[in-house]
Amino acid sequence: MEKQPEEKATGELADSGGEGGQPQAAGAQEAHKEDHMTLLLRLRAQTKQQLLEYKSVVDANEEKTPEQLMQEKQIEAKIEGLENEVEEAKIAFEIKNLALDRMQLSAALKNTLEKTDFKTSLLMDNMKHVLELNKLIMTSQQESWDLEEKLLDIRKKRLQLKQASESKLFEIQTEQNKQKDDLDNMGNSDKIKAIRKNLEREIQITTVIQNVFQE
Amino acid sequence: MSVLRPLDKLPELNTATILLVSTEDALLQQLADSMLREDCASQLNVHLARSLPLPSSVTRPRIDLIVFVVNLHSKYSLQNVEESLCHVDASFFLGKVCFLATGAGQESHCSIHHNTVVTLARTYRSPLLFCDLKVENFRVTMAQRLVRMLQVCAGHTPGVSALSLVSLLQSPESPSLEDL
Repeated sequence: MEKQPEEKATGELADSGGEGGQPQAAGAQEAHKEDHMTLLLRLRAQTKQQLLEYKSVVDANEEKTPEQLMQEKQIEAKIEGLENEVEEAKIAFEIKNLALDRMQLSAALKNTLEKTDFKTSLLMDNMKHVLELNKLIMTSQQESWDLEEKLLDIRKKRLQLKQASESKLFEIQTEQNKQKDDLDNMGNSDKIKAIRKNLEREIQITTVIQNVFQE
Repeated sequence: MSVLRPLDKLPELNTATILLVSTEDALLQQLADSMLREDCASQLNVHLARSLPLPSSVTRPRIDLIVFVVNLHSKYSLQNVEESLCHVDASFFLGKVCFLATGAGQESHCSIHHNTVVTLARTYRSPLLFCDLKVENFRVTMAQRLVRMLQVCAGHTPGVSALSLVSLLQSPESPSLEDL
């Protein structure tokens, strides 16, 4: 069951790089050469990029990846791991780019400073402003750090107080329990039993004597 | 050839080739015309196909970008695209494939839910673009976008490769949606 797909190849847009220009004057001839140069440079960049792509594909194919025997979940986990690696590599690249730009910027700044008139330039004003702002930032950061320290101290104290009160309450409770136990034990001690026995005997004797004397 | 491979031919100098696959011939033709009208420093070749596999009788240059156009109004176009995807080599999906969904504006005519296309694009890890190809301005904008993507995929933009472009275009996937 073969499909019969139609295929059409539609036209080609002519290169807008100015190749077809017909220069007349010498100045235009120069411009023509310039266009050739830009075209060549562009083609060079293109071929470089394409070479890089092919090289990376070749390198990738040399790596052995375990193929069909892995379970799907493992493959998904591996894919996530690889994507994370890609993200990290991109971030590192971005950071390095930023650092490079910063270095270039500072080098350019240094060069302009050396060339231009020192004290009256706008650059110096900007830099002074930047320094002031940095000082402000530092002081406010220091203040916020101190405040946070104080907050931490207060919290620590609160925690300590809480713990102390907990231990005190616990002690009170144990004391109360001890007293209750003592009271209960007192009821069962031997002395009390002996006293009770004597008391009962006395009560019995007195009832007997009462009954005898009342008759 | 039965399977399209991305790098089996050497690239021609200053040339970029795009392949548009869809069942909607008229829309493809209009999109191709818009793309060719775009200002571009390299030569553009636009190939149109209803479905893959392409007939091997024709010699064609190396294909840099494949765009699968799905019309959300017809289930047949989605089916066609899904069947054509089997004839594309896996290494194409490293940034050289793009999905384009058209017709999302008229909700009442849509027979495919846009989530279907979203999951399709997500499975193949390729970017998904929405565009109403019948409106002139949107088509022109989309043509511009495709031309830029094509330049990157063909290696005409130094410093950017197809793979880096695709990872730039990926939107962050919210885990709650995936759990559902």
